[in-house]
Amino acid sequence: MSAPPPTSLAPSRPEIVTERYPQRRPAWIELATSGDHKAVGVLYLGAALSFLALAVVELVLMRVQLIVPESTIVSPDIFDQLLSAYGATAVVLFGIPAALGLISYIVPLQIGARGTTFPRLGALSFWLYLAGGVTLYASFLYRPPDAGVNPLPPLSDTVFSPTAGVDAWIAGVGLAVLGFTLFAVNMLATLHTRRAPGLVWRRLPLFSWSATVSGYVLMVAGPVMLAACTMLLIDRQFAGVFFDAGEGGSPILWQHLSWLFFTGAYLVILLAAFGAISEILPTFSGKPPFSHRAIAASLVAVGALGLLAWMQNMYTAPIPVGWTFFAMAAAVALTVPIGLLLFNWIATLWGGALRLRAPLLFALGAISTVSFGLAGELTYSVIPVGWQLDSTTAAQADTYYALVGAAVFGGFAALHYWFPKITGRTMGEGLARASFWALLVGVHGMAIPMTLAGLEGQPVDVYKYYEGGALGTYNLIASIGSFVLAVGILLTLANAAYSARRGVVAGPDPWGGTTLEWFASSPPPPHNFDVIPDVRSAEPLRDIRESIRRRTETWEPPPPLERPEPASDPATAEAKPSTSRE
Amino acid sequence: MARLGKSLLPGVALSALLVLLLAPAAHAVPFAPEEARSPNAEDTTTVYWVMLVVAVAIVAVVNLALIATVARFRARRGREPARIHAGRRIQPRATTLLALLAAAVFAVGVVSTVRVRDVEPSGPRGLEAASARTAQLDLQPPAGEREPLRILASGQQWLWRYEYPNGTFSYYELVAPVDTTVLLQLDSTDVVHRWWVPELGGKFDAVPGRSNGTWFRAEREGVYEGRSAVFSGPGYATMRARVRVVSVPEYGAWLEQQSADIQDAQEAVQEQVQ
Repeated sequence: MSAPPPTSLAPSRPEIVTERYPQRRPAWIELATSGDHKAVGVLYLGAALSFLALAVVELVLMRVQLIVPESTIVSPDIFDQLLSAYGATAVVLFGIPAALGLISYIVPLQIGARGTTFPRLGALSFWLYLAGGVTLYASFLYRPPDAGVNPLPPLSDTVFSPTAGVDAWIAGVGLAVLGFTLFAVNMLATLHTRRAPGLVWRRLPLFSWSATVSGYVLMVAGPVMLAACTMLLIDRQFAGVFFDAGEGGSPILWQHLSWLFFTGAYLVILLAAFGAISEILPTFSGKPPFSHRAIAASLVAVGALGLLAWMQNMYTAPIPVGWTFFAMAAAVALTVPIGLLLFNWIATLWGGALRLRAPLLFALGAISTVSFGLAGELTYSVIPVGWQLDSTTAAQADTYYALVGAAVFGGFAALHYWFPKITGRTMGEGLARASFWALLVGVHGMAIPMTLAGLEGQPVDVYKYYEGGALGTYNLIASIGSFVLAVGILLTLANAAYSARRGVVAGPDPWGGTTLEWFASSPPPPHNFDVIPDVRSAEPLRDIRESIRRRTETWEPPPPLERPEPASDPATAEAKPSTSRE
Repeated sequence: MARLGKSLLPGVALSALLVLLLAPAAHAVPFAPEEARSPNAEDTTTVYWVMLVVAVAIVAVVNLALIATVARFRARRGREPARIHAGRRIQPRATTLLALLAAAVFAVGVVSTVRVRDVEPSGPRGLEAASARTAQLDLQPPAGEREPLRILASGQQWLWRYEYPNGTFSYYELVAPVDTTVLLQLDSTDVVHRWWVPELGGKFDAVPGRSNGTWFRAEREGVYEGRSAVFSGPGYATMRARVRVVSVPEYGAWLEQQSADIQDAQEAVQEQVQ
């Protein structure tokens, strides 16, 4: 235990403090079968980072193919398979689970809980997700999916995609999304029922706020995607007609359902990054958040408005123009909460004493990169601009800005920040800096020429493009940029792998944090806390430090005990002499 | 709080200046869309420039403020972080400001959408079209004006088939008369396709069983290259959309020639069958 509870320095009764329990079974079996939120979190993070490495390989292969016009390095079939696997991997197998892994590990600690409400549901959610990922990648043994990033019917129906690849996509994504939904059930129940005494919502740490909003977003988007996947499976395997226009079904229905889910996925990734940034900035500037309440309210608004904007992806579809106005209104309204977040973050840094360690560096990179993505998002949400530039590499570049900014920069910021808590060791600072600069150069090196190529009319998802204008140059630079980005990602993955065993040993609170996860040891014992402190403000650990400081400053030796005159008993008489110290 | 506002002011002013300096430069070459050759594309280009300036301003303000803050408040010996909390009025003010920005962007979006969808009548050099096809489109020219030319674009893996009012059809290439309003109805015989010729306006989906459409009025003769823009299977990258704009007499001659060619071909096929 690192520090005593704030209420009393001396425990009223003796406590048994156990840092390590003897393990009865091999460590990997303990990890794989445990319902402990920390084990689930570590599994989620490990799997997500492994899938990130796969996504990077797929991205690099696709960018190799696009270096020159009408290239023939990668065959069209293979390219379409890479493309289809990449889309599902980047969002469903890396983005969301990376966010959920952090949430699983950190949120119960932040709220002073000794575990989650439904521990086995948490473990089940991970194994469903992993089963989904394995199902998707096992299809590479026979026939991988090839119907695109979002397999729109009728293309994804059996008539046009007769192989089992799309079935693997449906089963893989469906299983993973079922896992995410169950995860959200468990985490929301925990957040609602397991908060420490005094930890009312207005004092809830901001990362836990973002986890709450992400949970509700997943509770809306997850079941919708499950329904969509089930319908597509019925269409394919049991002669269903949900999406068959010839039989009275509607291909547009899939677009509504799947875009609602992908919008939700995008929000979960953004929100997790926003929550992590909102924790890191106060810690490394030594100041409280400029306005805890405004940031929490903005996170809620981002989740609510963001989900309403799902039709922003459907401007070109045959839907009434009034509906696109509704989508545009929701998308444009996001300016308010996101603007408030940016304002509050910068105001949090203002007047602080900034320690530019790796977590803060990545958090600043995330804010900067996401600002490009979200300003672009605002531009593309204006309907005629969307008509002109959606589904070009310009709009794709914008998505890269937002997702690389949130998932990679924001995710790496969170990884560097909480790595000492998870492993007990700090990540190397030198590799972190190298990775940061590679990511920054890489994301701009890739996204700027992609924007220019999109303005010249290059559509997304093509395995080749034709000579024309400066397209060749733009694609060459974009490919080089993507390679630099890949190097940056791999540097941090290597840093994490190395530091997990050899990093500098960190104490329970290496950064001087103010939230309860830093109250536990690093890594925390299975039950997290020996004593759960009372929470009196949004910065409970600061309160504890303050109270210790005050007590140390004002401490005076206790007055001598008033004892009765020694009796004639010789044993008592011998024990007495040392007490009088005046 | 006033102090915070004062210290932010130079940064904001600097970034505003930078935007003003950069905006005309940006107009010169980089980040310019393909040149518009139709009224709807011209309106799109206008709103694109407006939004680009807004986006660049947002990015500049955020990043300059971020860099300035980090440069100024690096941890140094003897610097104690100030425990600043938000005053009571600053968040409502910031919210109002941002809401005004959002409302302005939304207004720009609605006005520009209405303008782009507003079908303009054919120009003086254009074709006097007698339309046989009644398209199920919610795009219509104003009543009492000259009838637009109605063409059906039908997507299939991986080409476009165009059907003209007299029943003639062509593959791959749409031939259209100059200065004539063309109402393009989009549908698909197999999967979802997305028709896009950048010089002639935005892209629209061709979905089986649903009617969708767009319009254009090409101002100059020439060949305009476009692409299909939604993944539609293995041949998707090769699915291009091309529009050849010709003068009105040339269009008439081409239409007659095409009809004759099709008739000859069909007769030849009939003969072979018999």
